[in-house]
Amino acid sequence: MADVQSVSTGKLDDGYLVRMIGIDKYFGRVCALKGVDFRVRYNEIVSLVGDNGAGKSTLIKILSGFHTADRGEIFFEGKKVHLGSPRDAKNLGIETVYQEQALAPHVSIPRNVFMGREITKVLGIMDGRRMHAESMRTIERLGLQIKDTGAVVEALSGGQRQGVAIARVLYFKAKLVILDEPTIALSVKESQQVMAFMKQLRSEGISVVFITHNLFHAFQIAERFVVLARGELLADVDRKDSSVEHLSQLVISGHHEEK
Amino acid sequence: MENQKLIPRLLSYKVSFTLIVFVALLVIFQIFTPGHTFFQRANLFAMARLAPDLGIVTLGVGILMICGEFDLSVVSTIPISSYVFVKLLGFGVPLWINLIVTLGVGVVIGLGNGFLVTRTRLPSFILTLGTMLFWKGLLYASSLMMPIGIRSWLPPGSWLENILVGIIGGVFPVQALWLVGFASLLAVMLHFTKFGNWIFVTGDNETAARAMGINTSAVKIMAYVGVGVLCSVVGLMQCLRIESFSPNQGVGVELKSIASAVVGGTALTGGIGSVIGIFVGTLTIQIIENGMILLGLPAFGIGTFIGAVVIMFAVLNKYISRWSSR
Repeated sequence: MADVQSVSTGKLDDGYLVRMIGIDKYFGRVCALKGVDFRVRYNEIVSLVGDNGAGKSTLIKILSGFHTADRGEIFFEGKKVHLGSPRDAKNLGIETVYQEQALAPHVSIPRNVFMGREITKVLGIMDGRRMHAESMRTIERLGLQIKDTGAVVEALSGGQRQGVAIARVLYFKAKLVILDEPTIALSVKESQQVMAFMKQLRSEGISVVFITHNLFHAFQIAERFVVLARGELLADVDRKDSSVEHLSQLVISGHHEEK
Repeated sequence: MENQKLIPRLLSYKVSFTLIVFVALLVIFQIFTPGHTFFQRANLFAMARLAPDLGIVTLGVGILMICGEFDLSVVSTIPISSYVFVKLLGFGVPLWINLIVTLGVGVVIGLGNGFLVTRTRLPSFILTLGTMLFWKGLLYASSLMMPIGIRSWLPPGSWLENILVGIIGGVFPVQALWLVGFASLLAVMLHFTKFGNWIFVTGDNETAARAMGINTSAVKIMAYVGVGVLCSVVGLMQCLRIESFSPNQGVGVELKSIASAVVGGTALTGGIGSVIGIFVGTLTIQIIENGMILLGLPAFGIGTFIGAVVIMFAVLNKYISRWSSR
């Protein structure tokens, strides 16, 4: 870490898209994160795992601008950044997809995809035709089939809804997509579909942070696992150096196993 | 395209069921009213003159409901606007300045409601019950509940009267045009503009809307201001029509407007509704009132029937939305 601080220009070019260094976060007197390092490479799916209360959401909320860290530095594309608001994060290309929080159920797919960033002609009149065409094109790019493209989001399956939410960040050229428990409420088949979306994102050159409780899902798709426990970094391992058993041991015990 | 699947889309707006009931009621009333007076000119004229009162308020209230909030204070905004207008007439303020100030009453009350609701995040039904009583109390205290005629200061035939409550060619009340005009304008705003989409998503999933960078508080405040201004217009129209301020102006409109919006397919939970639905809904409520009177039913019992219709539509909406989202 010392070498990082010695970089006087505040630039850090080491092949990482994101580098969070020594992150501390307190809520009042409660320490939510202590000295956590978290890195994401370009073109990589990283899975962030850990039990409830491990600090996963806090870390992600810092990265997506909802919270600010009390200490530590964040580098994005090698540049030191300040994420003071979700807007700051979005402007950099960091997009977060929260389960069930992303979409308006009674509104059509294009209006959901373009929510808050509608394509307009004059006087704020939306270009419905273009919004429809662009959103459907992006959804197809994800490999998602939707028959009734005029349907409201409520009529879609859980996997399709995740697809719509992911299509949104794909369209708006995210560089890093954070998926918070995207498979939690889904059937086996739909979970596979969502994981296929993640692969598609990676093949488009987008890095993915996949937060999950399901280590089998994590192991199936992620190249690297970051395990948090009680606000501290417990492990940061590549898939080849790990196994589902190993991860589950770490998550359950909250300690490194003694060998 | 957005126009594809027109029929499911119309059904999802639920307006079709309101339309069916509306047309059925028209037929029933025409057949069963003694002497078939329903479609007579005098009756249509009376309705075209009176319907915009509730209709214009309901446009605002319905859109606010789509946005996820209620406003009971409409029943105070209407007479206060009328009162301010008459008072300013008495002070000899030029008519156009008076008009601006009167509409400003709606802006102020709307801003107050909007800030209160978005800052406290408490149920707007209760908060606007509070502001309704607050403003009404102020009105009663300052007017002492006495009506004030306008004719001492405003001779008949002023431009404002012609514009707001005139009668075109001696047959067509201009108020009806205002209702249609506001409805058209608001329909474009709600269904075709960016801001309209923000209203829907704010009412449908406020968390998502905020996460997407929409300032949902500002959207709601705007919707409240819209309601306020529309109420001021109605207060002013009524004042000019009855040629006086009356402290009883607008009585009952706070709940009738919500009822009309529900009959028009607006969800009580926000996120669902349409201007055409709200429009047909308010007309439905009003032809029921009118038709019942023509049928010679006891006028004081009309509430019972309207109540039943509102409940019927609230239940119907629930089932339609399940059915159409399949």
